[in-house]
Amino acid sequence: MRKGRVLFCIFLIAVAAYAIHSALGWSFKTRLFPLSVSIPLLVLATIQLLQVIFGKGETDEGAGLDLDFSSDVPPEVARRRVINTFSWIIAFIVSVYLIGFPLTVPLFIFFYLKFQSEVSWLYTIAATAITWGFFYTLFQWLVHIQFEPGVIQTWLDL
Amino acid sequence: MFDAFIDGLFLVLQWKAFSLMLVGMSLGFCVGLLPGIGGAATLALMIPFIFKMSPAEAFAFLLGMHSVAATTGDITSVLFGVPGEAISAATVVDGYPMAKKGEAGRALGAALMSSLLGALIGAVALALAIPIVRPLVLTFGSPELFMLSVIGISCITSLSGAGARGQIKGFAMGLLGLLVSTIGQERQSGSLRFDMGIMYLWEGLDFVPVLVGIFALPEIIDLAVRGTSIAGEGPAENLRSGVMEGIKDTFRHFWLVFRCSVIGVFVGIMPGAGGGVAQWMAYAHSVQSAKDSKDRERFGKGDVRGVLGPGAANNSKEGGELIPTVAFGVPGSGAMAILLSGFLIMGLVPGPDMLTKHLSITFSMVWTLAIANIITVLLCLTVLDQLAKITNVRGGWIIPFVLLLVFVGSYTANGQIADLIVTLIFGMISYFMVLFGWPRPPFVLGFVLGKVIETYLFISMSRYGFTWLKHPIVVLLIILMLVVIAYPYIQQRRDRSGNPADA
Repeated sequence: MRKGRVLFCIFLIAVAAYAIHSALGWSFKTRLFPLSVSIPLLVLATIQLLQVIFGKGETDEGAGLDLDFSSDVPPEVARRRVINTFSWIIAFIVSVYLIGFPLTVPLFIFFYLKFQSEVSWLYTIAATAITWGFFYTLFQWLVHIQFEPGVIQTWLDL
Repeated sequence: MFDAFIDGLFLVLQWKAFSLMLVGMSLGFCVGLLPGIGGAATLALMIPFIFKMSPAEAFAFLLGMHSVAATTGDITSVLFGVPGEAISAATVVDGYPMAKKGEAGRALGAALMSSLLGALIGAVALALAIPIVRPLVLTFGSPELFMLSVIGISCITSLSGAGARGQIKGFAMGLLGLLVSTIGQERQSGSLRFDMGIMYLWEGLDFVPVLVGIFALPEIIDLAVRGTSIAGEGPAENLRSGVMEGIKDTFRHFWLVFRCSVIGVFVGIMPGAGGGVAQWMAYAHSVQSAKDSKDRERFGKGDVRGVLGPGAANNSKEGGELIPTVAFGVPGSGAMAILLSGFLIMGLVPGPDMLTKHLSITFSMVWTLAIANIITVLLCLTVLDQLAKITNVRGGWIIPFVLLLVFVGSYTANGQIADLIVTLIFGMISYFMVLFGWPRPPFVLGFVLGKVIETYLFISMSRYGFTWLKHPIVVLLIILMLVVIAYPYIQQRRDRSGNPADA
C-alpha cells in the first residue's frame, strides 16, 4: 500500500512537472493559468511524497468526504476482481472499436450475464433482448445518435 | 402585480399548457435518469417544437422538462453512484454510501423532498428577487466572480479531510482538476495546450466522460469486489418507512435545506457559475454545518445532510438562473442560453418588458417550476419503493446495465470512442485516488470551474492589472476564503481544547 501511495505521489509530480515544462514555452497569456496551478500542485505533491516516505503512520486521512472501498473481502480476491472488472470494461471499449456501439451492447450484456454473473439462459436472453430494444428505440430511433461504425464494418465496407 | 401572479397560474393550468408541461416533465424524467443526455442538450433538441406554441405553453413545456431533470438526476446518483446529470454529482458522495448501508429509500426520500423544497424556494426567489437583483448582479464584475469561484473550490478542498495532510490532498486534487480543465484550445489566444498531438483534445475534455469516469467506475468496481447487492447483506430496509424517514430528515434539517437553497439561488444568479458549482458549495456548507470534527467525519460515509444540501441547491438554482435571464437577457448557464433563444422565438425580449407588459408570463414560469416539481416528487414517491428495491438485486445482475449506462452517457458527449477511453482513464485514476485516500470532490469542482475561473482571471488581469485585488468586494471575498480555509483548523483546535482526551 505504501508503495502505491508513493507511486501515486510520483504520478502527480510527473503530471505537474510535464505541465510546467510544456507551459514554459507558451506565451504569457496562455501559460498564466496552467503555471498558476501546476507549480503549487508540484509543491503539494512533493510535500505529500515526503510525508509518505518519512512520515510516521500514514493514514487514510484526507479522504474524509469520499467513498471507502470495502474491506470485507481478502486483498488477493479483491485484486483479482478489480482486474477482472477492468478487463470487462476494456473488452467493451475494444469491442466498440471493432464492431461499433450498437452491436457491442447486446453482446456485452449477454456475455457478462452468462459468463461473469452466471445467470440462467432465460434471464440472459430476455435481459439482452430488452436492453437492445430499449437502446435501439431510444438512442437510434428517437434521439438519432450517430454511432461510429466499427473498424471491421469499415474494412468490409458494410 | 397580484393579478399578474394569479394570471400566471391560470396560464399554466390551461389544459394545453398543462398537458405540454406533463409531456416536458416525462421527457425530463428520462433525461435526468440517463447520464450523458443533459438537460441543456434536450432543451436544444426540443426548441424546434415550440414554434407553434403560445409563450405560456412553450415555457411550461421547456421549463417543466428542465426543472424535472435535476430532480430525477439524483435518483441514479443515490442508487448506482452514477450521476444522472452533471449537476447531481455531489449527491453521490453521501447518497450512494447510504444506499450501500441499506438506506436507499431514506436517501431518495431526502433527495426528492429537499429537491422539492429547493425548487419552491427558487421559484419564490424568482418571484421576489426580480426588482432587487439588478444592483447585485451589476456589482459583481469578473474579479468578484473569479473570487466567488475560488471560494467554491476552497470550501470543498478545505473540508476534504482532517488535519494538514487532508488539506494538502484536498488542495492538490483541486489544482489537478483545474489543470485538467486547461487541456485544449486556450480561449483568448487560440493556442493549444497539452493536446499531445491528439485532435480529440483540441476542444478540451467534456464534462460527462470525465465525471462518470471519476464517480461511477470506482463504485462499480467496489460493487464487483464485494460480490453482493448495492445494499450489501445487511437487513433489508423497510422502504416505506425509509422514504418517510428521508422526508422527515428534510424537515428536521429544514434550515440547512433553506440555506443551501439560498446558496443555489445565489449561485444561479451569478452568470457562468451554474449548477455544477451550486451543488458543491451547498455540500461544503452542509459539511461546515457539522457540530464538530467528529460529526464532520460522518460525511462521505452516508450522512443524510450530504444529500439534502446538494438536492436543495441544484433545484433552487433553476429559479436563480432564470432571474438574470428574464430580467436582463443575461443567461446564467448553457441551458438558460438555450431558453433565451426560446424567448426570441416567441417574440419576447428579456428585460423591462418581462417585468411589466409580460409579467404574467414571467409568473407562469414561477408556477411551472413549482407545479412541475410538486408533481414529479409526488409521482416519484409513489414508485420509490420499486426503485429502491434495485439496491437489493445481486451486483452481478446489474453491473452490466450500469456499465452500459455509463458508457452510453459518456459516448453521447462527442460520439467518439475517445470518450470511452477518457472515461476509462479517469475511472482508473479515480480508483487509485479512492484507494490511496485522495478526495475526488475537489478534483471535480476544479475541473468544472477551471474554464470559468481562467476566463474571469484573464478578464480581470486585462482590465485592471493587479488592482482588482483591491476591489472592496474582492477583499471581502479573500477574507471569507481565508476563513473558509482556516475553519477546519479552528474547529479542530476547539474540539481539542474542549476534549483534551482527543488531543
